[in-house]
Amino acid sequence: MSMKITNEIKDATIIMTLDGELDASSSVVLDEELSDPEIMKYHKILVDCKNLHYISSAGLGVFISHLQRFEDAQIKLIFFNMQDKVRNVFEILGLDLLMTIVGDYEEATTIANE
Amino acid sequence: MLYKTNAKSLSILTAIISWALLLASILLSVESTRQAGTVKLVLPYIDNLLIVVFIVAVFVSQRLSTESLKGIDFISYLWNLFSKAGVAAYLSVALYLGYRLSTSYANLSSPLLLHIVYHINFGMLVLFLAKAFYIWRQLLLYHKSRFLQIAWDWFELLLGATLLLTLLNFNYTSFIFLPLLALLGIYILFLCTNLKWVAFLNFNNKSRSLILLGAILLSCYIFARFFYQLSGSPELVIDYTDVGFLLLAMLFVGTYTLAAFLVSLFSLPTSSVFEQKSEDLLNFQRLSQSIQQGQSEAQVYDMLFESTIKAADASAAWFEVIRNSEPEVTHLLNINNEQTDRIRHLLLAYNIHNIDYINNNLDRNPGFRELLLPWKSLIILPIKSKKHLSGALYLLKDIEQGFDRETVNVLRTFTSQTILTIENLRLVTESLQNERYKEELKIATQVQESLIPKTFPADSWFEISTHSAAAKEVGGDFYDFLQLSESRIAIIIGDVSGKGISAAFHMAQMKGIFHGLMQQDMAPSEFMKQANSALSRCLEKTSFITSALYIIDYRMKGFVFARAGHCHTLYYNAMMDDVFYFQTEGLGLGIIRDKSYNNHVKEMYYDYNPGDVMVIYTDGIVEARNAKNDEYGEDRLKYMLSQTYHLEAEDIKYAIINDLQDFTGPDNLYDDQTLLVIKFKLTQPNE
Repeated sequence: MSMKITNEIKDATIIMTLDGELDASSSVVLDEELSDPEIMKYHKILVDCKNLHYISSAGLGVFISHLQRFEDAQIKLIFFNMQDKVRNVFEILGLDLLMTIVGDYEEATTIANE
Repeated sequence: MLYKTNAKSLSILTAIISWALLLASILLSVESTRQAGTVKLVLPYIDNLLIVVFIVAVFVSQRLSTESLKGIDFISYLWNLFSKAGVAAYLSVALYLGYRLSTSYANLSSPLLLHIVYHINFGMLVLFLAKAFYIWRQLLLYHKSRFLQIAWDWFELLLGATLLLTLLNFNYTSFIFLPLLALLGIYILFLCTNLKWVAFLNFNNKSRSLILLGAILLSCYIFARFFYQLSGSPELVIDYTDVGFLLLAMLFVGTYTLAAFLVSLFSLPTSSVFEQKSEDLLNFQRLSQSIQQGQSEAQVYDMLFESTIKAADASAAWFEVIRNSEPEVTHLLNINNEQTDRIRHLLLAYNIHNIDYINNNLDRNPGFRELLLPWKSLIILPIKSKKHLSGALYLLKDIEQGFDRETVNVLRTFTSQTILTIENLRLVTESLQNERYKEELKIATQVQESLIPKTFPADSWFEISTHSAAAKEVGGDFYDFLQLSESRIAIIIGDVSGKGISAAFHMAQMKGIFHGLMQQDMAPSEFMKQANSALSRCLEKTSFITSALYIIDYRMKGFVFARAGHCHTLYYNAMMDDVFYFQTEGLGLGIIRDKSYNNHVKEMYYDYNPGDVMVIYTDGIVEARNAKNDEYGEDRLKYMLSQTYHLEAEDIKYAIINDLQDFTGPDNLYDDQTLLVIKFKLTQPNE
């Protein structure tokens, strides 16, 4: 099971679609993607988790490691369309209180534009 | 051994006695013929008997002494034969000449002296024949077949049988025996074709053997000539040419020497080819054996370089090892670095670098002509396995068509053997390295196991049962306990993100933090805050730890706990007969690395009833998957507890683990798994 990451750029927003399983090997790819200096030009990163079936602790670790950096640069990181199973993993770890996880794309854009 | 030595001394003694008796008998008969008029005393039967005894004794003693000769130093055989027996011929000539000179000088004829000389020469002839006969036997039977051995045994037997003719005083020249002797002669010719040993002599040895064989041949000639000249001489009372055995033995020795001489002479020009082949073979052997002898790659390349230069008779060569895709010249022969650089640049330009390449006429190529090299042929042999290029060998020759197909085949065999050897050497080194890593990991596993408590304090108010399995040699799951006071115990469970060594290190760190902080007996939420602060300084950015800490107070019949991102605690309340998960908030450790973490951890107090069951676990349990990629899940775990809460803690644990293994199937462990089952009991400790 591999991971496919696609980026769509709309104005000052990046919509990142995660497709597959975020495990130890695919989280390396995600880390490269999020470390790209280009990404700092945008103020909003919306992560579409509709097809994210599984997230390992390594995958969570990648988001956590970038969290502080995005916050300092005032970049909004918003997850949407998250499956219950994956959302449960975020919640158990307590990440739902730190990260913005919303229902669908409309909700995400509304929050992003606040 | 003793028997052999005895037999040898006995045969020598017999030879000497029989020779002396024979001399005496001959001198007696000479004396009797001189005193004409008296009755001529002839005792042919006794003489013949003595002759046969003497011959047999000498042959037996030589047979015994040559048996000790072993090995393939053929030159020493020849030298042995020449120095110990061949010179006898020259001595006999000297003796006879001395006799002739002294008699002609004194101008008298002494039949007595003549007979003595003749008889001494006879003794030397027999010695020579016996020695030569048995040394030729050793050489003739070199690399023998069964057939040859039998043929030789028969020959020895038949030859021995001819002594009977002498013994019975038959004349072998009579028509009855002549055809038989002629047949034996043919038999000898057949035996003389067995000259395998000559092929094993190298050029130098062949030249030396030619000289020795020539000298031995001359000895044969001298003896033959001497005895035939004197045969039928009226002065002599006895004629040894009558002994058929000696004639046949001489025929064998002479023919074999001649055959060996001729074969050596004619194989002299081709011996270098044979030498080359046997050296190639030896070098192959050395190359293939170098692994067992624990040689290094450099030594293997040394061997390759030397062997290929010899095999191809190259006039110049160099070898380069490829290190980090850069060539590094390690061996040079008759060529300098500037020339190798120029050739390499040209090859690069032609894009034929490091591939199999033969150019047998460099002058025809304008690029090479410009380099003004003194060589006319070039071959490149890369040392290349399927995926790895280890080096390249360049051989140059100063003649056109220097590398023919035969030579190229030999060279390619050398290089492929080298590749095999190098690959094997690497595999051996790698496996040794792996073995060492395995040992280290084994130690790490042992150390980690010692970090996890095996036994909990046995007490009557609660039961605890634990299970832990690491997906790799070491894992990131841990649990531990600390008795805070007589009635209070702290139990911690944790899971470090990631697996393997790095997780194991952080797990050990977490254990240290637990014991360090809990000595001060603090509330679970306070512990999490301080642990987060401590871990913030040492955890790498992408790592975090989930943990839950429980402090159980049996005097108060309650426990207080805090959860830091760890899996929810599964609980069975006996009073309400209900199975549920504690839904508390709490952020994992190391996610927020400043004071703001303090807002993210909550504490909960709960009163327990006897019969309550608490199940603490790591995500390896609920996230375990089956072949269809379904997760075990919280619901199934909850269901299992609802079916088993009435059992002992140990049995609840086994029920859950068995169900989990049924679900995932065997050998399907991808994440560390830890499970603790705590059951509170009715019985109170004695107070």
